[in-house]
Amino acid sequence: MEGLGYINTRYYVGGMADWIESGGAVARVETAAENQPMRSIRANEAGRASWASALDKLANWPLEQLIGFWLGIIIFFGLLYWIAGVGMGWGLQAGNTLIKPDLDGFGTAIYFSFVTALSIGYGDVIPLGALRILAITEGIAGLLIFGCVISKLVSRRQEALVEEIHHTTFEERLDRVRTNLHLVFSDLGTIDQINREQSALPDQVAKRFESSVRVFTGELKTIHDLLYRTEILPEEDAMESLLANLALCLTSLSDFLTSQSQRSTSLRLELRTISNLANGICSECVPRTYAPALKQWMDQIQETSKKIA
Amino acid sequence: MKQPTPLGELSRYKQIISREEILSRLQDPAFALVNVMPKETFEAGHIPHSINLPLAEIETKAREVFPVLTREITVYCMGPT
Repeated sequence: MEGLGYINTRYYVGGMADWIESGGAVARVETAAENQPMRSIRANEAGRASWASALDKLANWPLEQLIGFWLGIIIFFGLLYWIAGVGMGWGLQAGNTLIKPDLDGFGTAIYFSFVTALSIGYGDVIPLGALRILAITEGIAGLLIFGCVISKLVSRRQEALVEEIHHTTFEERLDRVRTNLHLVFSDLGTIDQINREQSALPDQVAKRFESSVRVFTGELKTIHDLLYRTEILPEEDAMESLLANLALCLTSLSDFLTSQSQRSTSLRLELRTISNLANGICSECVPRTYAPALKQWMDQIQETSKKIA
Repeated sequence: MKQPTPLGELSRYKQIISREEILSRLQDPAFALVNVMPKETFEAGHIPHSINLPLAEIETKAREVFPVLTREITVYCMGPT
């Protein structure tokens, strides 16, 4: 190991033999035996996940559709109660008599269905026999869906608020990127001037340059993320001004670098990151199609990235 | 001949580690225990929490596993042979 440059290496001379001899625990890599329980746990989780995801899907339905679905279920179950009463002779019992297979009976069945789905349960109409199971099933389903409807109603205002907050933070982020790009650009100009006049120590200039480069890397990352995340996107003209600023900074950075020969290790790392990120900004690699003006800027950025690092 | 660094010199004095120390530091994330046996031997039995880095691959893989040269590394094999 020392031959490879490691300077903090030690040796356990006894090795495995000594370890086992003095009763040390031994770990083994077991493949077949360990995998079995793992898989069953995973299957279990998958089962739970599909349950949860079905509920999630339901909750994601629009409000109108949810209410429609809920009403549909109630009417469907009402029909079932009624048909059961007609076909099999045992059905819903209102008072002391079974409901009749006519329109009046159908009305009672629908009424019972509503009372069950809303978990009111007056008890003036009662299910008999197997209809009890059906009634309980309807009660559970009705409650779940109705819960979704209620939560939708309650969260309407909240969703609007969250969206607003998202929008504001996003705008702020864009603003920050714009300001920082401007700062980096003007700072690069100042550094270049100081360098030419030789009015400061090269050491200080290098430090200042490095910190500017670091800020630039952060903002470049943000823009890179913006281009690759398709769910939130600024307006195209805002994006264009950002890209133009970025291209400007990148060009001045590469110009500055050509006049500079000495680079510290950290700076070199930073520059490589910049080059990689900027290389990812090209009209063909980003997942969305943009206006030609934007594409032009992107291609310019990519072109410049090759000169850095 | 290159002069050894002070740190390198230091490591020369404490090259050997005892069983007790290994046992007490097994859970320490800063303590890297490397088994240099071939993969099959490693799988058949090794000290818990150790990493397998076969001697044959050590030159090519060491830098990948331990990018920091000052990392505290303890190496062991089958035993005194």
